[in-house]
Amino acid sequence: MSHIHIDVENLIYAYEKDHQVLKDISFFAEEHDAIGVVGANGAGKSTLLKLLVGLDLNFKGSIRVEEIPLEKETLGKIRERMGYVFQDSEAQLFMTTVEEDVAFAPRNYGLSEGEVEKRVTYALEKVHIEHLRKKPIYKMSGGEKKLASIATILSMTPDIILMDEPSVALDPKNRRNLINILNEFDHLKIIASHDLDFIMDTCNRVILLDGGEIVESGSTDEILKNEELLEMHGLELPLSLYRK
Amino acid sequence: MSKFNQAIYEIQNLDTISKEDKWVNHIHPLIKLFLTVYYIGLVVSFQKYDLEGLCGMCIYPIFVFIIGELSWKEAIYRLRIVLPLVCIVGILNPFFDTNSIAEIGGIAISGGVVSMVTLMIKGIFCILAGYLLIATTSIEEICYGLRKIHIPKIMVTQILLIYRYIFLLLWETKRITQAYALRAPGQKGIHIKAWGPLVGQLLLRSMDRAQEVYESMCIRGFQGEFFIRKRNEKVKGEFIYFIAFLIILLICRIYPIFEVIGGFFL
Amino acid sequence: MHMADALIVPAVAGTMYAASALAAGVSVRKVKMENDSKKIPVMGVMGAFVFATQMINFTIPGTGSSGHLCGGMMLSAILGPYAGFLTMIGVLLVQCLFFADGGLLALGCNVWNMAFYGCFVGALLIWKPMMKQKVTKGKIIAASMIGCILTLQMGAFSVCLETLASGVSELPFVVFLATMQPIHLAIGAVEGLITSAVLVFIHEARPELLWGVGEKESEGRFSLKKTIGILAVVAAGIGGILSLFASAFPDGLEWSMEKVAGTAELEATGGIYDLVASIQEKTAFLPDYALKSSDSAAGTSISGIVGAAIVVLLCVGLAYLFKFFQKGKTKEA
Repeated sequence: MSHIHIDVENLIYAYEKDHQVLKDISFFAEEHDAIGVVGANGAGKSTLLKLLVGLDLNFKGSIRVEEIPLEKETLGKIRERMGYVFQDSEAQLFMTTVEEDVAFAPRNYGLSEGEVEKRVTYALEKVHIEHLRKKPIYKMSGGEKKLASIATILSMTPDIILMDEPSVALDPKNRRNLINILNEFDHLKIIASHDLDFIMDTCNRVILLDGGEIVESGSTDEILKNEELLEMHGLELPLSLYRK
Repeated sequence: MSKFNQAIYEIQNLDTISKEDKWVNHIHPLIKLFLTVYYIGLVVSFQKYDLEGLCGMCIYPIFVFIIGELSWKEAIYRLRIVLPLVCIVGILNPFFDTNSIAEIGGIAISGGVVSMVTLMIKGIFCILAGYLLIATTSIEEICYGLRKIHIPKIMVTQILLIYRYIFLLLWETKRITQAYALRAPGQKGIHIKAWGPLVGQLLLRSMDRAQEVYESMCIRGFQGEFFIRKRNEKVKGEFIYFIAFLIILLICRIYPIFEVIGGFFL
Repeated sequence: MHMADALIVPAVAGTMYAASALAAGVSVRKVKMENDSKKIPVMGVMGAFVFATQMINFTIPGTGSSGHLCGGMMLSAILGPYAGFLTMIGVLLVQCLFFADGGLLALGCNVWNMAFYGCFVGALLIWKPMMKQKVTKGKIIAASMIGCILTLQMGAFSVCLETLASGVSELPFVVFLATMQPIHLAIGAVEGLITSAVLVFIHEARPELLWGVGEKESEGRFSLKKTIGILAVVAAGIGGILSLFASAFPDGLEWSMEKVAGTAELEATGGIYDLVASIQEKTAFLPDYALKSSDSAAGTSISGIVGAAIVVLLCVGLAYLFKFFQKGKTKEA
């Protein structure tokens, strides 16, 4: 077993009693995996990701990140290894400039200013936005904000990246760019999206959610090319497959 | 609706010019902050008939405007909010204070007129000084300065966050009022029936956003402590600038500088 | 009702700064004690929210005019008075810096007039006691209306007092008061209506967001009563100082009245006040205020004009020289 992995067993989550959002989710992901979590609106994709970073601890079942069980005491340790990119970049970027925002996490982990500086440079280079370093957030385009959001978590040098609907509101060029950047990160990524073309281009495995349950999981090709299966669960074949 | 655009434009514009690479912009924020408060304090401390002495205080804004390469037009535009208030308070002075205290060309000038003009000039100088501060110092720098004088972190963090989200909320409010106006043609503002839902929705959305911001902070190791960037910039001559203005402004406060210097030549 | 820098003298500004700083200090302590790190982003975003909603035009039924929101009371009904107060300070500071609304020197006054009353009187003394038992729509409306009208009246009264104590206006106090209070009665009523509309909406949509609803009095060493007591004493003290200024010196604070600066009440501003007062003493030997004697008026104004021309030219020249050298330096580097 490789060092980097997530192990989810019998995960159950309910916002209110009698209304389960996630029902008995189990899966295992390890280094070099790129997992696409797909499903129609309300299938529980975002909830699953939020639980993985411990934004809500009122779940049943177990989540283990690199053998550490996710609970209140281990939150800090686990979050240091995991980066989560929000769908809404405006919430992700709360400082006034890109540089400050990217430096937020390293500073919180008590690194020296010199080390923080290095981390910021590293993260900005990874997503190719060194030139935006001093730019105020309000002046940035949607695509730039998304890249900056990714930089804010890369500065923690995470083992695992979780992304919620990364391709929303990106134009084709920015989308292409984002796909390339994600493919450069080869530890472990989990991407929740209903943009199946995006998943096709970035993931090797897919988990199909419907009504809070895993209805199917397997290789990307296996699932995303199965028109019948997708339609049964409120999805459609990726557009790129129609062209062929 | 242009009010929102105007506000957004004004903040953005100030943000941009305050980050330009000019000598004054690099001066330590505390020096500029202190000089500004010092200057305003001196200006308002002039006695109400001391118009001549007060005029001497114009040297500070003139000097900084030139070295900061700032636009007079924008500064004067800023006068529009506060000046009317000052004028309303002062405008009645000529009626209540009719003692003649001077005579120019045979026309008696009452104390009220002098005190009214003095008040207006005070208002103008104070606003110009405020403009000079914010046009040469970014909000991040000001916050850094505030931290240095031990303003609690929670306050400083507040200001930074408010500043970050002002643009967003202004846009959002603009959109929501525009959407309203499109469906309610001919109305000047928001009808009483929509007050609650319109502002309430905006409030709920803001609270949700705040929740996400909080989550985003937590995920990146936030535990209640907010770290603000250290500043290691030092400009040559900033200290001389500081001391020089402290002294010059004090001299102008004590002596009616125009008259004294004019006296040498007459 | 933003106070402007020009309308106050440093002594009044200092007094109000000290008062506001005290209230802020108590609030910071209180918010820290709650130890809820979530408050920080909530305060920031809500501050921006208040800022933005202040720009909305609300049509006042039956009239052609429109009203606006100030937001102190509404904010405190959501965040509580302490966090609400700190947020309002942030809003006022940003307004003062970016829109020249108010001023740096008058910030203490503005925080007191607009944030203190709204947050502490409005939320702590009116909202909280009324919401302790069952919350109803009627109670929310009543609390908002009473709170907003009362706090705006108090704010307007403070504006009058501060202006009077500064002695910049020849307007008789009673006339000023008679103009300010009724205007702010109307403004307060509109603010109350908006606030109640919003709070009723929130109560129906997400009642858990309202502050102090059904809360029991369970404070520790910093009890509500104690806080109110301290705040009341502070408020009374400030009122006292300001009215002392106002009644003792109807013509405002003249600089020659050095004795006042020596008294304990003015400690906060003693430094600058003393300094300037002693300077004033020295300058008394100079033939200043030449305007007073009409004989020399012509002579004075000529030398003044010549002097002004020279000083301004010198200043402009120096500034350009300075700029020239600065440019040269950066080019070399």
